[in-house]
Amino acid sequence: MTRVRLTDHLVLILGVLLMMGPLVVAFLTSTHDHVEIHREGMQFTLGAEFAETYATVLTREGGFTGEITGLLMTQNSLILGIGFAVGKIVISMLAAYAIVYYRFPLGTFFFWVIFSTLLLPLEVRILPSYEVAQQLGLLNSYTGLIVPLIASATGTFFFRQFFKSVPDELLEAARIDGAGPVRFFFEILVPLSRTMIAAIFIIMFVVGWNQYLWPTIMTTEEQYFTLVRGIKNVMQQMIGADIPFYNEALAMAVLAMLPPAVVILVFQRMFIKGLVEQEK
Amino acid sequence: MLRNTILAATGAAMTAFAAHAEPVEITWWHAMGGQLGETVNEIAKGFNESQDAYQITPVYKGGYEDTLTATIAAFRAGEQPNVVQVFDAGAATIIGAKGAVVPAEDLIQEAGVAFDANDYIDGVRYFYADSDGKMIGMPFNSSTPILYYNVEALEAAGVEPPKTWEEFEAIAPQIKEAGYTPLAQSHLPWIFTENFMSRHNIPFATNANGFEGVAGTEILPETAAIEAHFDKLAAWNEAGLFGFYGAAWGANQTPFENGEVAMWLGSSGSFGGLRNAVDFPFSATYLPYWEGVTESPTNTFIGGAALFAMAGHPEEENTATAEFFKYLSSPDVQLMWHQQTGYVPITKAAYEKAQEIGYYDEVPQAEVGIQQLSLPGGAWSKGYRMGFYVQIRDVMNREYAQVINGEKSAAEAFEVIKAEGNKLLDRFAKTMN
Amino acid sequence: MKKAQFNSRWMPYALLMPQMAIIGIFFLWPAAEAIRSSFYLEDPFFGTGTFVGFENYSNVLTDPNYRRSAVFTAAFTLTVVFVSLGLGLLFAVSADRVLRGQQTYKTLLMWVYAIAPPVAGLIGVMLFDQHIGPLTDAAAAIGWNLQIGVDYWDTAVAITVVSAWKQIPYNFIFFLSALQSIPSSVKEAAAIDCRSETRRFWTVTFPLLAPMTFFLMILNTTYALFETFGTVDLMVQDQPGNSPVTLVYKVYRDGFRGNDLGGSAAQSVILMVLVLVLTIAQFRLIERRVHYS
Repeated sequence: MTRVRLTDHLVLILGVLLMMGPLVVAFLTSTHDHVEIHREGMQFTLGAEFAETYATVLTREGGFTGEITGLLMTQNSLILGIGFAVGKIVISMLAAYAIVYYRFPLGTFFFWVIFSTLLLPLEVRILPSYEVAQQLGLLNSYTGLIVPLIASATGTFFFRQFFKSVPDELLEAARIDGAGPVRFFFEILVPLSRTMIAAIFIIMFVVGWNQYLWPTIMTTEEQYFTLVRGIKNVMQQMIGADIPFYNEALAMAVLAMLPPAVVILVFQRMFIKGLVEQEK
Repeated sequence: MLRNTILAATGAAMTAFAAHAEPVEITWWHAMGGQLGETVNEIAKGFNESQDAYQITPVYKGGYEDTLTATIAAFRAGEQPNVVQVFDAGAATIIGAKGAVVPAEDLIQEAGVAFDANDYIDGVRYFYADSDGKMIGMPFNSSTPILYYNVEALEAAGVEPPKTWEEFEAIAPQIKEAGYTPLAQSHLPWIFTENFMSRHNIPFATNANGFEGVAGTEILPETAAIEAHFDKLAAWNEAGLFGFYGAAWGANQTPFENGEVAMWLGSSGSFGGLRNAVDFPFSATYLPYWEGVTESPTNTFIGGAALFAMAGHPEEENTATAEFFKYLSSPDVQLMWHQQTGYVPITKAAYEKAQEIGYYDEVPQAEVGIQQLSLPGGAWSKGYRMGFYVQIRDVMNREYAQVINGEKSAAEAFEVIKAEGNKLLDRFAKTMN
Repeated sequence: MKKAQFNSRWMPYALLMPQMAIIGIFFLWPAAEAIRSSFYLEDPFFGTGTFVGFENYSNVLTDPNYRRSAVFTAAFTLTVVFVSLGLGLLFAVSADRVLRGQQTYKTLLMWVYAIAPPVAGLIGVMLFDQHIGPLTDAAAAIGWNLQIGVDYWDTAVAITVVSAWKQIPYNFIFFLSALQSIPSSVKEAAAIDCRSETRRFWTVTFPLLAPMTFFLMILNTTYALFETFGTVDLMVQDQPGNSPVTLVYKVYRDGFRGNDLGGSAAQSVILMVLVLVLTIAQFRLIERRVHYS
């Protein structure tokens, strides 16, 4: 037994090194001067400019209006991340419930229609998507930022699969207790789906948090600036003009990873062993 | 709520007795991130403070392609900005869409603002103009390819910077002997194709390099000189006289900065970054030419991006845009732009002003690009106008890499470039019906 | 097919309504528009142009470079799916088993997922830099002259490594969620029946994970095909040149950068149909065999 556990720890330590190593290096690099980074590349030691760079990134009032601050960008990214994750979980749980628990002629067809949303990137349909958003008066609004993006299939896909693996006996037992579809959904299925909800929330929050193209195209006001756009802005340097502030871009990237860490910590609590037993 | 009411009341009161003083508002979508974006904001603020009648709001819309796509999407929905920045390879798309933009020259003249195209530097003014030389786009961030050299490296080799490729061939072995890779460059299509043709005054495409219309335009009608050039590049690469580090810009610049490469062909605006990045003295000179091809080399033209005035706006907004273009072209603004960013000034007056204040005594490298752009021009040195040009550059980059790696001859590569390029041009022509 | 189901004429449609409405407005209509434009060569500003029938399609399918990209895309997709699924599963199984430090491992392994795509690309580019990249230096130490952007295969390796790396936490999160919803009674029973941990994994745990693996396989395939073009663009630093690129990168490049709406739409439609057919076939073949509950 102990030997196996040791192998597990070894695997996990190597895994953490593989996954976190580049990020630690990115953090270390962000504490150096941008010219040094440009000349020597990634850094493996702690530099002297940690306080200065991070203070700049956090407090600078950027943009034409001076409205773009670290706080504003974080707030917008949070709205996008949470709005996206919640919206997606709600609509995809409902859709998956219909597909798995109801017998109706178009079930499979709808499933494949939903699946097809994975197969055409936003870049290809951006012009008509913008047109729709404009006609609905959604430009420069949080609704317009979030709603068009929650159309995709991932959530429905996983909830469908999860619901299918829920034993039939549960539904039969619920029926004997006199539970209808609504009670069954809220009292049995939702609690049972906790780990799946947690996993999807983490995934979707991050996807929303990291959106770049759609917010860039459909907002023109600086009050909607997000962290990823801020990072892109710092990183983007036209050929020849000057050396980009790599340190600031990396510092923003490191800071941008803190709120998702909180989300992960919170939702990880739903990944608790034996939960399924207790609920039954 | 209360605040809004008060604001509304004050607003109403203001308009009541000062209706004409309400400034006309215009928007400017641009693709300038980082420090450049801050300079853009500075220019916009300067314009707003210089007068009361107009207000411009710049909006950063991501990279060049994000900005162009956002503009196209907005234009289709009637939400287009007044001014948009479009990059060189995308110029044919926006200029070709008849009625999408108001030519800068017309806009300025209709607004009654004084304008003389001769105020603009020759190598700058034609690139975004039509075949008659009328300026459609207002050149904004412009630069041209020049040769940078590591002074210590050339001294160690005991040679002078080359004026011609023949000279380069003669001195390259000595530079290699001194422990350096003699040459690298950062953009094969821009430097060794577009500007190669311009420097030697050779046609780059039929229909006057594409300026006279999209239908039937064919790329590279004469390839003898450029084929010879690429065969040489492959031979130099093989002999260790030329370093090729792929199609990306930075990968070819780094070895020059690290002191491994003695001479590097880059952008005239690169000196600012180089000054921060290198610890050896460097200087710059003109893009070399083949004496065997021409005895009287002509100017190069610009790369970068221009500002376009979008159609579909009321007259008073167009007047505001015209005033902004005038402000942007003024010597002081151009000088500030030139000094802060390294891009060339677009007018002769700004160039003279930079000379007057002794800017080039301080930073001689900053002048090379403007001088090269001001060299005598020829029939084929004004630029080019080709659609789907991003894709054509991709084809060139792919084929050139294969030539330099020795996988195929230059003749074979140019056959492919012509075939695929002409097919793309033909397809582009069909979009313009 | 589930045996126990509800019956209602309108309820399933009501439940599907929100998602279908959003998909209809923000996906199906724009997608139909993309399909329409694949038969045209259009001026992007006005949407006017020439009807060219299947020319955009034949153009793509006869291009030798398109076939070269297709071959690379297939190899790339297989590798990314296999590597990221394998490592995600390995880490999830280990994290599920250990007691001490479990929370820390889980958090660190999930956290990487939060990194913004442009930053992942930037880190990749810096690590693999031809001149000053630490990974290039490491490769040089074992005699491998790694040249991203110059050598076709070196670039292929770098693009694949970065794309797979980014996807590992995704698979880790879902595998872990599946493992942790296996009732402990099942695990305990298995522990009594079967002493060998490895055999127990393959005979008890893995079959229980099979539906999840199947779904992750499909989603990883769509990830590798459709969501990696940003990584590709960053790794080749905007200039594909002679480097290997995926088919969707070409769609992005020609359409989004090059404004060839018709050509890029035709490429998308080809891919969409191909992947949809393959996935439906996979479902028919595999989903019947994977074992639910």
